[in-house]
Amino acid sequence: MNLEERDYFTDRVVLKDPYDYFAELYAKDPVYQPKLRDVMFVTGFEEANEVLRNTEDFSSVIAVTGAAVPLPFKPVGDDISAQLEQHRHEVSGSDILVTYDGQRHTATRSLMTSLFVPSRLKANQAYMEELADKTVREVVARGKCELIQDVAVPYVTLVIADLLGVPADDRESFKEVIAAGPPAGNIDAEERPHSNSILEHLARYFVGYVQDRRANPRADVLTLLATSTFPDGTTPDLQTIVGVAVFLFAAGQDTSAKLLGNCLRFMTEDKDLQQQLRQDRSQIPNFIEEALRLQGSTKVTFRVARKKTRVGGRDISAGQRLVIALSAANRDPRRWEEPTEFKLGRKKIQEHLAFGRGAHTCIGAPLARAEIRVLLDQLLKQTSDISLSVEKHGPPGNRRLDYEASFIIRGLENLYLELKPSTGTAS
Amino acid sequence: MPRLSVITRAGEEHSFEANGHGTLMEAIRDNGFDELLAICGGCCSCATCHVHVDPAFVAKLPARSDDEVTLLEGLDHFKENSRLSCQIRIADALDGLKVRIAPEQ
Repeated sequence: MNLEERDYFTDRVVLKDPYDYFAELYAKDPVYQPKLRDVMFVTGFEEANEVLRNTEDFSSVIAVTGAAVPLPFKPVGDDISAQLEQHRHEVSGSDILVTYDGQRHTATRSLMTSLFVPSRLKANQAYMEELADKTVREVVARGKCELIQDVAVPYVTLVIADLLGVPADDRESFKEVIAAGPPAGNIDAEERPHSNSILEHLARYFVGYVQDRRANPRADVLTLLATSTFPDGTTPDLQTIVGVAVFLFAAGQDTSAKLLGNCLRFMTEDKDLQQQLRQDRSQIPNFIEEALRLQGSTKVTFRVARKKTRVGGRDISAGQRLVIALSAANRDPRRWEEPTEFKLGRKKIQEHLAFGRGAHTCIGAPLARAEIRVLLDQLLKQTSDISLSVEKHGPPGNRRLDYEASFIIRGLENLYLELKPSTGTAS
Repeated sequence: MPRLSVITRAGEEHSFEANGHGTLMEAIRDNGFDELLAICGGCCSCATCHVHVDPAFVAKLPARSDDEVTLLEGLDHFKENSRLSCQIRIADALDGLKVRIAPEQ
């Protein structure tokens, strides 16, 4: 069976290895519509850049539900801008920042652009280091762990909670709600409307935090947000601030946790690489970039053409939905030499599209990079070897790995590790 | 609507009207200058939206933050008139502003 005959949005074979699927589409054309769906897949690096940077012809309104669901209206003509605005509220997830367009997006995003600047992350670094040290110490003492639930999820939740200034007492309840939620882009729930229940649960708490910060400013990110103003000097209403705060809190957690899993997978399957990193931990940032390129935790994002336009020289009609395959662009052989090889120190590696590009570039990327670097640093420092559990995942060359059932997220459901303490560590 | 001039790395000068919201980086990006990468999307983090500002305009811009200075000082082509374009908000006072996209790092 050709991979093209499988449905990207529901097929479990494609879920396990989306890269082969995208490579097959790319071989036909970097901008290609498979027979099964009325959806255009953009798998080329230049072409993906072109779409992501063109906010004039492409709208992000379908960024949450994906191109899996039809538009709530029938596009008419070569410019559907007016239709799109008229029906925007009917698109599931259209109250979330990633789906905003134009001036509303620019203005709302501007509330967050100073939150993850270098000085802010530096101020938070001591907390990250202490938390990473403690978390890693515990699992190294045990000699094993399930990385995603034991380490990654609690770590990233506590880091963002601390950075924002979420009270310690509320963090536990958030952890439970977030852990119980379905993944973004669930392949088993395609026809069901997008669920916002987690965000609504969080919003009830965040209303209180924002009101409190407006009355009693403190030195935390929530205060910066609560007292921020739009570029024109006006003050956003409470609902807008709460929406942004909840979005910041919830949006990056799953992707950061999954990225950590993908990083550890590379590190445990290539022991020479692991040893090289252990001996020179200053290479960790390079390692993270290459891991992001090869297996970033966001496989795809979505756009819809607002106007009749062209991408990579191909005609695109107004209303056409597009899958921007970030993970395929990151393996485009025209852009990357030996694209499927893991290589430290590639030139211009930071130009990969794992965090997107253009107006909707992931705003939490600096935080994700910092928190993962700090945790990997501790893992390598406190161990002499990290291996995948053969009992849980099978032997090298024949691993059993479960990926999150999502057409958006690329990440392992679980990763069982065995850890040997470093000889120089007291524990 | 301020009118801005951008000089590309190849030395070509283009001018255009910026819409009244957003930042200089966004205005340059949205007018099709692909060589301004702005990899971090405008959060004062990656320093890939580096421009050299026409010296006559430097004093008219809001001062650089400590974060911006830290990032700029790490660049090969850092000059006195260096700015991260994501840190400059579009305003009418910028009418006539001329910037050159800094050479690649």
